[in-house]
Amino acid sequence: MELVEKTTGDVVVLVLNGRLDSNTSKILEDKVMEILGQGHKKLLMDFQDVDYINSTGLRVLLLALQQLKKNQGKLVLCSIKDYMKEVFEISGYTEIFPIFASQDEAIKGFA
Amino acid sequence: MGDIVVRLSNQLAELDRLAEEVESFGERNAFPRKVIYQVRLVLDELLTNVISYGFSDGKEHEIEIRMRLEDSRLHLCIEDDAAAFDPLQAEEPDLRSPAEDRAIGGLGIHLVRKLMDSVRYERRDGKNRLFLEKNIS
Repeated sequence: MELVEKTTGDVVVLVLNGRLDSNTSKILEDKVMEILGQGHKKLLMDFQDVDYINSTGLRVLLLALQQLKKNQGKLVLCSIKDYMKEVFEISGYTEIFPIFASQDEAIKGFA
Repeated sequence: MGDIVVRLSNQLAELDRLAEEVESFGERNAFPRKVIYQVRLVLDELLTNVISYGFSDGKEHEIEIRMRLEDSRLHLCIEDDAAAFDPLQAEEPDLRSPAEDRAIGGLGIHLVRKLMDSVRYERRDGKNRLFLEKNIS
C-alpha cells in the first residue's frame, strides 16, 4: 500500500495504491490519524489504484469516518473500481459514505 | 482445468500464495474480474479467521482448500483441524445504524455469506469442513 497525500483548497486528498488488507490497513489508519491530528476536517480517499480490499480495510474506513464525524469533519471516497463496488454495497457503506466516480466530482461534493 | 487443491500451513503469509492460485484458476477458467476478486476475498476472510484464532498449540497445521468448477458452478471446500468453529453461527453485523454508532467488526463472515450462493459447515473426525458454492455467470 502506497499513499500519496496532496491538498486541494481545504480538502486533503489521499491517493491509495495497492491492496488494502490485513497487512496494509494499519498504514492507512496511521495516516488518517496523522491528518486528523493536524486539524484537517475534509478528507477524500481516491481508490483509483486500489485493486483489493478486505474486511480489515473496510474497518479502517469506518473508523476514519467515525473519527472525522466526531470532529465535525467529512470523509468522501472516489473512483472505486467497478468490480469492488458490490462489496461496498453489501457492507452497507454506500449508505454512510458519499462515493463519487472521480476525484473532480468528489472535490465539488465537499462544497 | 476445473479442479485444484491448495495446501497451506497455518501462517498468514501463506494467504498470498492462495491469492495467486485463485487468480490463475479464475483466469484459466475465464471468470469475470468481479468473481475472481470475490472468491479471493471470501477465502481471505475465512482463512484469516482460521489461522488467527483456530490454533492454540503453537504447532504447524495443514489447511486444505479445494476448488472445482462444474457446469458454471464453483465449489470450494476448506478443511482444517482447527478448533471447531461454524462461521454460520456468527452474529450478523450492524449495517443499519448511522455511521457514528455503527459497530466495527463482524463484516468478514457477512461478506462470505452474501458473496456465496451457498455455505454449509460440518465438523467430522476432528476437522472443520466448510463447503461453499457460487454460480459463475
